[in-house]
Amino acid sequence: MSNEKITGAAMNAALDGFEAASSAAQNTQAGNALDFDDDPLSATGVSRKSLVIFFLIDTSGSMKGKKMGELNTVMEELIPEIRRVGEADTEVKVAVLTFSTDVRWMYSTPIPIEDFEWARLRANGVTSMGAAFKELSLRMSRNSFLNSPSLSFAPVIFLMTDGYPSDDYREGLKELQSNSWYKFGLKAALGIGNEANDDVLAEFTGSKDTVVHAYSGGQLAQMIKIIAVTSSQIGSKSMTLSDDTGREIGEEDVFAAKQKLLGQQIQELVGSQVEESDVPFDTGW
Amino acid sequence: MFNGFSQSVMGASHEKTGLVCQDSSAFKVADNYAIAVVADGHGSKKHFRSHIGSKYAVESTIEAIDRFYEDADEFEANFPKNHKMILRNIEKQIIANWNTKVSKHLEENPVTPEERSKFTDEEFEKIQPESYYGSTLIAAIAGREFTFGVQIGDGTLVALFDDGKAVMPMEYNESAPANVTASICNSNAATMFSSFYTDKKKVIAMFASTDGLYTSFGSEYDFLDYHTIITSQLTNLEKFKQVIVNNLTKRSRFGTEDDISLACVFDEDLLNDSISLIRQRVEENKQEAADRKAETLRKQV
Repeated sequence: MSNEKITGAAMNAALDGFEAASSAAQNTQAGNALDFDDDPLSATGVSRKSLVIFFLIDTSGSMKGKKMGELNTVMEELIPEIRRVGEADTEVKVAVLTFSTDVRWMYSTPIPIEDFEWARLRANGVTSMGAAFKELSLRMSRNSFLNSPSLSFAPVIFLMTDGYPSDDYREGLKELQSNSWYKFGLKAALGIGNEANDDVLAEFTGSKDTVVHAYSGGQLAQMIKIIAVTSSQIGSKSMTLSDDTGREIGEEDVFAAKQKLLGQQIQELVGSQVEESDVPFDTGW
Repeated sequence: MFNGFSQSVMGASHEKTGLVCQDSSAFKVADNYAIAVVADGHGSKKHFRSHIGSKYAVESTIEAIDRFYEDADEFEANFPKNHKMILRNIEKQIIANWNTKVSKHLEENPVTPEERSKFTDEEFEKIQPESYYGSTLIAAIAGREFTFGVQIGDGTLVALFDDGKAVMPMEYNESAPANVTASICNSNAATMFSSFYTDKKKVIAMFASTDGLYTSFGSEYDFLDYHTIITSQLTNLEKFKQVIVNNLTKRSRFGTEDDISLACVFDEDLLNDSISLIRQRVEENKQEAADRKAETLRKQV
């Protein structure tokens, strides 16, 4: 052992770890006096707990005109509001999947909300919702879109459509339902106009409470904001893994509780909206 | 000649809830090997002594490696020929050491009424006594002619070999049961280890870190680049020790609020010979990160 070298903290930890742990705690508490700006390691930034919001948007031909115009405007307005949700202690990332005849991602990977810019969408083609579900399932993986080390929360998945799927959506949904991220994710859906089928949307979310409907431009703006903001707030909330009695509860219970809370809050907010006298989407269509 | 450092910082979330730091870390430079080791006590309700368990995990590992290196020449001669079998034996020795320490601690410090009061009779009976001390473990070891690592549970091992690239060399044990967090306290812990071994490349620096460090990064690229930057700073170790306290504290406070531990051993001579290459890698990594970000922000619709 003559030539051995066990130094400082190493000696403490190897031979007396209690002291090592408590000295570490002191270091942290003394952190108020630390100068975080003078840090040669700052080139690789610190990432807060992160959450990905997936928007699945129907860009089929029936969305042309007022619906797509309104949706583009609302989504542009929504970005700053979602930024505020993340300001506290969560890094929110956004991924947008559009589906018509083809399915296409707006960006090649989820984008931090601070850097996100909405690309105005155009409508054309048929409603390949099943293909969108399959594509989403493929990307909701630790090897793909959900590869961020700081990912801490199950994703929020928000579907918007104005029509009935033109492909076998059930086959795609079956694939998606076997994805664990989908199972534990917060799911909500918005039907736009008279043709959207709320039963299909409830199959996607797993509950009618998390499905809402917009029949006019004004309602579309309200509903998108309600769903996106509420779901990202709940999605980024750290819910305790123990109940009131201190009994530990499973992760599945936490996610079920979040999904239920989302349904309740959406229904409360939707119920509190003042009817606006704007023109329904389907008038004159 | 090897040198090293180790540092644990307590997570902001643990400060809030009054928990003690659940991590332990250490490094040791011996005559014939150097080891960096960290352990992350599970910290949840049934693992109510996991801060002690993580300390024992670190100690048990160093003691096991010490024992295998009692006859260094024979060990270094045999390891390359039978490294898989010898790694399994090292893992078993670590578990045996840990179980001995835990049994002794429990015998000398029976569960207190306060510890017991948090459970119903039914709940308490279901908990194996070893679970009170549950912890992960990650160790990186540099011998004279080879390097190896062992791991059970979460955490990351990063190595910079003589090409100056940061890599995660651990070959993960795919046979570990899915949905079960591998822990040193599991009854089949000896079968749940992951490990790596190489005698093909010289190692400049090796790092073991608990999960709190990895989860404070937005991407794996950033995580690896971070280790390259650290390596570039190790030529002034004394100055760097304050830098790393600052940085880990910042990462815990503004990241996932978890405890963070980082331990490192590095070959001072090889580092001095390779420092230009490492600094060049740091610059290349910066450029590649900028290129990746530009590519990411390109709209596709």
